Amino acid sequence: MGDFLSYLGRNYADIFSYTIEHIQLLGVSLTLAILIGVPLGIYLTTNEQLAATVLQAASIILTIPSIALFGVMIPILSLVGQGIGFLPAVIALILYSQLPIIRNTYTAINNVDPNIRDAANGLGMTTMQRLLKVEIPNGMPLIMAGIRTATVLSIGIGAIAAFIGSGGLGVLIDMGISRGNQNMIIAGALAISILAIAADFGLKKIQMKFSPKEIQ
Amino acid sequence: MIEFTNVSKTYPGGVKAIDDISLSIGHGEFVVLLGPSGCGKTTLLRMVNQLEELTEGEIAVEGSSIHDLNKIDMRRNIGYVIQSNGLFPNMTIEDNVMVVPAMLGWSKEKKKERFEYLMNLIGMPPETYRKNFPHELSGGQQQRIGVARALAADPPVMLMDEPFGALDPIIRARIQEEFLDIQRTLKKTILFVSHDIDEAIKLADRIVLLKDGKLQQFDRPEELLNRPANEFVSEFVGEDSVLKSLSLYQVQDMKAKLTLPEASDGLDGTVFKHGDSLRYVLSHLLHPTPKPVYFERQEGGLAGPISVAHIEAFVREMTA
Repeated sequence: MGDFLSYLGRNYADIFSYTIEHIQLLGVSLTLAILIGVPLGIYLTTNEQLAATVLQAASIILTIPSIALFGVMIPILSLVGQGIGFLPAVIALILYSQLPIIRNTYTAINNVDPNIRDAANGLGMTTMQRLLKVEIPNGMPLIMAGIRTATVLSIGIGAIAAFIGSGGLGVLIDMGISRGNQNMIIAGALAISILAIAADFGLKKIQMKFSPKEIQ
Repeated sequence: MIEFTNVSKTYPGGVKAIDDISLSIGHGEFVVLLGPSGCGKTTLLRMVNQLEELTEGEIAVEGSSIHDLNKIDMRRNIGYVIQSNGLFPNMTIEDNVMVVPAMLGWSKEKKKERFEYLMNLIGMPPETYRKNFPHELSGGQQQRIGVARALAADPPVMLMDEPFGALDPIIRARIQEEFLDIQRTLKKTILFVSHDIDEAIKLADRIVLLKDGKLQQFDRPEELLNRPANEFVSEFVGEDSVLKSLSLYQVQDMKAKLTLPEASDGLDGTVFKHGDSLRYVLSHLLHPTPKPVYFERQEGGLAGPISVAHIEAFVREMTA
């Protein structure tokens, strides 16, 4: 224990910069994942057939082991000179995030009380107004729950992306294993766990703030 | 005001939901669409604001065919109330009520003023409820807010789909009374769906009785009760149509029709006022331990005692 603490004392600056790298990777990939997944989930509510196909595809992606997905992407992205590093890691995290985000958004919008939708139409809201003023606010808890799942999932998978040179806290674990340095492994694993818990907690707070009181 | 001309709706399978209906509804008229479940009354209502398409015929609101109007604009100009109130749970009461004015781009002051006027109209103090959310209100209050929301932009036409159907009988009766009072001041043209004949008799200027998408009778409540057009109508109004028709009339109607004795001492009895329903009067008279019944007189003093024979005479007079 004392050994571990003195390791932390000597290396806190490195651990901190790896954490920042990890957060950057997550920030970029989750932002893009939300920008793709939420509109797609909303669009799918208007097209039942496409919805089934897309959700099936997203489920399949989630079953691919991350290390295999990275492997597959190396030759493809090598064509543009980006076989390893930040870009493939971001792409992988976006793909993994799609299922929780799309599925939850789709379910959230579909589950809005049909009477409320009927009232919105009857009062003369346009499709866009109905979406922005009624359907999204009322589906917010479920949409945010999907984003939370995607975030926690991405934090874990982001650690594995260290193997293809994305940087981040996975680097500590990777190096710790190859050097037989237990303190490094523990520091990396601990930092990832804390990050995941903190992110989940923070997003939950945001979710509460933006949810209608009745449906919290 | 609202004109249905040979309106039909046929579903792809060939089922006729609405079969060749023509109605002409006047300005400020309160019309109840009545009939058993599946008779097409809700479909007919929802055709007016184009939530349902019609396959044949034409509907005109205030002289212009609904097809020539912009769907969104026309809906904002027609009040719409549904049974499950359809309030938006994410919005405060004020935002809910002011949905249409906000879309129409009213100024802040105008919206505030209108909100306060409407809340006072429905008997809920605006300051108390402004910041509340719908789930914090009782069912009756939510339904009142639903009515206020429909009235927000002062539309000339209101469409109401069983608005009081989900309320318990006591609250429903009270809200019906309140709404009638509001209607007497505002004089909206109202289409109101109901499956409850008592509600229809109480509220309607005229009743549209439907069955399987076909019009059975379109008439004033007393005509429907006293002169049903066919077998279905008389079955629907029920064996107790005479009793029902009594709720159409008030003490003042009876005083106008019959010469009632002046009461020498109307002391230990029940006194009915001008606007009380004759149905209540009869119910009192049939009570196992009846007390003498008196009517209040405009010029002071009391008329009575009233007996069942008076009611009998009145009914005969009205159905003659």
